[in-house]
Amino acid sequence: MKVECKDLERALREQEPAELAALESHAKECAACRTELEEWNELSVAARTLQRREEAPWLWTKIQARLKEEAQAEQERGARWSFAWLWQGFAAHWQMAAATVALLALTVTSAWMLTQRTAPGPVTPDAERRLLTDKTLKETETAEAAYVQSIEKLAALAQPKLANANTPLLANYREKLLVLDAAIADCRRQAEGNKYNAHLRRELTTMYQEKQRTLEEVLREN
Amino acid sequence: MYIEGVIGTQPFVKERSLPDPRESAPRQSESTRPAGEVSLAEAYAGGELGAFEQLYKLHGARMKSVAWNLLGNETDAEDAVQEAFLKAYRGRGNFQGQASLATWLHRIVVNTCLDARRRAKRHPEDEAIEPETPDALHPSSGTPHHPLRMALEKSVARLGAKQRTAFVLFEVEGFSHAEIAAMLKISEAASKNRLFEAKRELREMLKRTE
Repeated sequence: MKVECKDLERALREQEPAELAALESHAKECAACRTELEEWNELSVAARTLQRREEAPWLWTKIQARLKEEAQAEQERGARWSFAWLWQGFAAHWQMAAATVALLALTVTSAWMLTQRTAPGPVTPDAERRLLTDKTLKETETAEAAYVQSIEKLAALAQPKLANANTPLLANYREKLLVLDAAIADCRRQAEGNKYNAHLRRELTTMYQEKQRTLEEVLREN
Repeated sequence: MYIEGVIGTQPFVKERSLPDPRESAPRQSESTRPAGEVSLAEAYAGGELGAFEQLYKLHGARMKSVAWNLLGNETDAEDAVQEAFLKAYRGRGNFQGQASLATWLHRIVVNTCLDARRRAKRHPEDEAIEPETPDALHPSSGTPHHPLRMALEKSVARLGAKQRTAFVLFEVEGFSHAEIAAMLKISEAASKNRLFEAKRELREMLKRTE
């Protein structure tokens, strides 16, 4: 392989052994390339002096103490969330299917509520559209509770991954879920103060759907 | 008892469905992995604290060195190693054995350091201004003297995160581009590119300080 001055940068960038060997040969006869190569290699030699290999037994003592605390906390969590552990034994695709069924039930109930409004009373037709009756509200809340429960199970499954979000993608998912949880909590507060508002209920459903999708993506991440 | 020694390194299995240039690299299966590492990996996956002690003995010093060079001081480096071991404990269920434990642990510590740097950027009042000079603080560190060392250390601290990480892992710690690619989830070509950019920038910085 023949290498010329113009190939210097490419050879240093790509670091192909054959090309680097050819560059070494070329540098023997070319002062400019020789200087470049020497400076380049000098940097590598100096870099090795930044390596530190001090023994730090005290650090292991600290780590060990934290690991023991973590193991203890994990055991306690395990006891508290025994149902979640059972759920984890259930295949992931079945869990997603259960969450999807619950979502479907919630969507159908919401649609039914909007079409099956009861006696109008003194409210105007426009206001009536926005308000839910007591019966439909109860049905919505039941369906919503089932859906929320399914999502919480998914969240429990994704929690270990999120707690150890060691990739930027997982960290992003974690932040997105935090934002979603805050928005859901806010929307729930508003819905509790205005229980018959169908628009708020729809917003809440949309946010739960987004949370479900996000959790599913987290679970799919390796 | 686990067998101590050099643990082979292989890239992680690809995470996304996008084409992965590392796909063609050979994978390390349990059958080709040293028996000591297999048993250590099993003990690690089982959350045995003894396995973590063994991992610390094998990789702790190198992890701390990586963290020190990425964060610029010993205290933050020790915090990062501690945090990395906790993350490794919490995330042991995600270790599927496609990568070596060494690559896995270093990947965690590198990500921990990058997170710490991002946090420090958001709170610049907490960020260290200059890297510590280990010879002054730890005269027994035994690092060989080199005329470029002090200037190089300061210059490395001024590199961007990507270039700095590639430089520290390859030139300082001696990881291969395949290992760096696996740790940072990039291609080997990207790792080589980052290293080249880092060295070019360092050379310019060093020339300006001469």
